[in-house]
Amino acid sequence: MGNSRQLFANHFFTKADVYFHSGYYPSVFDQAIGGAPHITAAKDAAAETDAEHGREQSEEAGFLGPPRDWIDRFSRNFYPSRHSHLDRPGEAREILPWLRIAADLDPHKVETYTVAAYWLREHLNRVDEAEQLLREGWRANPDSYEILFELGRVFDENRHDSQRARNVWELALGKWRQRSARNGEPDDFVLEQILTRLAQLEEREGHWEKALSYLEKLEAVSPKPEAIQQQINDLKKKVVSAPPANRSGAQQTGKP
Amino acid sequence: MPAQAVTTAKLPGMKPILKIEDLVVEYRTREFGQRVTVAVNRLSLEVFPGEVFGFLGPNGAGKTTTVNVLLGFVPVTRGAAYIFNVNVRDPIARQRIGYLPELTYYYKFLTAEELLRFYARIFRIPRAEIGPRIDEVLKLVGLDTARKRPIKTYSKGMQQRIGLAQALINEPDLLILDEPTSGLDPIGRMNVREMIQRLKSKGKTVFFSSHELGEVETVCDRVAILHQGELKATGRVSDLVEKYKCNLEQAFLKVIGYEPGHE
Amino acid sequence: MNNALSVASIVIKELYRRKDFYVLFVLTAIITLLMGSLHFFNDDRIVRYLKEICLLLIWISALAIAVGTSARQIPAERENRTIFPLLAKPITRGQLIAGKFLGCWLACGLALIVFYFFFGVISVSREHQWAAASFFQALWLHWWMLGVVVAMTLLGSVVFAAPSSNGTICLLIILSILLLGRHLNKVAVQLAEPMSGVVSAVYFAVPHLELFDVRDLVVHNWDPINWLICVGATLYAAAYAIFFLFATWLVFRRQLVLRWQPGCSPGTRVGRAAALSPIACWAS
Ligand SMILES: Nc1ncnc2c1ncn2[C@@H]1O[C@H](COP(=O)(O)OP(=O)(O)O)[C@@H](O)[C@H]1O
Ligand SMILES: [Mg+2]
Repeated sequence: MGNSRQLFANHFFTKADVYFHSGYYPSVFDQAIGGAPHITAAKDAAAETDAEHGREQSEEAGFLGPPRDWIDRFSRNFYPSRHSHLDRPGEAREILPWLRIAADLDPHKVETYTVAAYWLREHLNRVDEAEQLLREGWRANPDSYEILFELGRVFDENRHDSQRARNVWELALGKWRQRSARNGEPDDFVLEQILTRLAQLEEREGHWEKALSYLEKLEAVSPKPEAIQQQINDLKKKVVSAPPANRSGAQQTGKP
Repeated sequence: MPAQAVTTAKLPGMKPILKIEDLVVEYRTREFGQRVTVAVNRLSLEVFPGEVFGFLGPNGAGKTTTVNVLLGFVPVTRGAAYIFNVNVRDPIARQRIGYLPELTYYYKFLTAEELLRFYARIFRIPRAEIGPRIDEVLKLVGLDTARKRPIKTYSKGMQQRIGLAQALINEPDLLILDEPTSGLDPIGRMNVREMIQRLKSKGKTVFFSSHELGEVETVCDRVAILHQGELKATGRVSDLVEKYKCNLEQAFLKVIGYEPGHE
Repeated sequence: MNNALSVASIVIKELYRRKDFYVLFVLTAIITLLMGSLHFFNDDRIVRYLKEICLLLIWISALAIAVGTSARQIPAERENRTIFPLLAKPITRGQLIAGKFLGCWLACGLALIVFYFFFGVISVSREHQWAAASFFQALWLHWWMLGVVVAMTLLGSVVFAAPSSNGTICLLIILSILLLGRHLNKVAVQLAEPMSGVVSAVYFAVPHLELFDVRDLVVHNWDPINWLICVGATLYAAAYAIFFLFATWLVFRRQLVLRWQPGCSPGTRVGRAAALSPIACWAS
């Protein structure tokens, strides 16, 4: 029973991705034939930058391959056979019902909350709903640093509430450590993002020391340590030239 | 066994409207050890215009099979049958026939009127004539008042009457009725008998099968008696009664070889 | 043609006097409206999921109506023995088959119009725009697909003895074509030779009913299909429907009217019905 709910939840989660691609999506047969594997889920969409988007597009463009026979060629007129994304304003709302159903079916599937919250917040301007959904997800998954990370973004980017953003991100960091200690296989991708966000936040707030310490941790896990080193150097220069009042970081002050 | 003809021909020079020649019908079954059933064996008869012809025989004698051959439902194994001198394989032969099947239901979701209109269209009766024709046959069979009711609400007697009505819709010259009175109550039977009489008085030819002899005596000009697929006797009722020196029922039993007390 | 139309009109009358169609329509409407009353994240302009659900229900209902009606036609004529008075009239068996086909197909068309009207109302009320061309293409292609389905089921109903098993078999075949038809060529590539050839042959032989399923294009507001392609699809469907009808006629014209005749003792009927060869030759 529980198992089938998960299966259905996964199905609907994928359905959201199908909708995101306007129905252009490889079937199990296309996947089996060894055409380029598709993105597994809309999760990537959450982290999708324009550069990534371009890469994904070229990768997907040909999952159908050239037509194999006249029936194949003819039939491509009758179903979506071109790559496409929901990128007209507001169109992304169409994926929401499936994510809602997926979350209801399997409340422990963390991805559902983070993906839905991303779209609600970033593209649909529904910050309240995003926050509510993430809180719901947090209740069901108290140990999920992924959800906490997204929640922090709501506070930071949409509510401009640095204090609460800092709190949840720090909490996320703690949860991350707990889980990595348990699993042994650390999820560096999310860690990087948490650390980056925290460093940016502290830098913005003028807490140089803290920002530096996050950056140093980030350098250790980042695939591009030189870039981080550059950032550290820049920050250090800033610290030297800044007025001494900002140096301690113990005192909460406004933005520099 | 050859038929014991009592009287054969009618008026010399008259052409039969229905003619069966040396007809053999076999049913093939897949049952082991019983691959072929001979339902009709070397049957020959003729029916002349204006006659009411009774086709008699006990259950399983082959009456329905013969009727089905006349309508092209069952393929003949040997021999042939003609209606209006046209082989029954030809659908044209059916244009001037009225047929009442044994135990039939009609499209239950239609009303009597709709059913008759449907059949009338198949007969290509001109549109303007269809209405009056339907009125006429419905009045004839006494379903005038129920004409707008769906057939599924009809009683058994009414169903038989709508059957007669559809058999009459094309003003046929020849009526083939398969057990028209089976399953009816005495009043229903009497109605059917009256109807046959009325048709006869209009000059129609009626060929009907029956296993109930009481009704036959009063309406038939001639009868044929069939038993186990073979024709046992044919002729006028009066001639048969005379020959066997008893009433038709006893003659019938004698003809089919049934000896009371020997069974 | 006249005879066929008369028979067809009876089939249509039967459809609208039976409850099946209304039940399916009301079910479709209720489920769609229920799903439409759900709110997701306070956004009341979400529409595509609703279009998809409504179209799915329409497809299921239409298949049920098409297969249900056509699987029943000839067996019911035999069972109720209405075929006797009918064939005793000047009508050929070919006209009877043509009439049954036309009746079922036109009845399906009428049902589709009602269903798609409902679909149109639902999608316009949400989207405030109407992609008329795509809408008509979906309706049109759906109808032609049902033509193939009806012809196929009629063929099944003269080949298989029991009407209920015919319905099930036809539905199974149709559903497998709809779900797998498009992919059989890819499956064939992955199989070893004897099987691969067989699957390929099936791929090229079956009517590709899934072609006519343009739901994804409608749901996701893709552009309408090129009209010439639509004409091609129509011809493709017509070719298969005619082929199946011809096969139905070939089988039916050689069949006994009944597999057993009335008027023999009831005890022997069952045995005989099972024992009689379903195809008895006219010419012997
Ligand atoms: N479809 C059939 N298949 C095999 N045998 C049949 C079939 N129909 C009738 N028979 C047999 O043919 C014989 C004549 O039947 P039938 O013509 O119905 O008799 P009747 O109408 O005189 O009662 C019977 O022995 C019956 O069992
Ligand atoms: Mg009989």
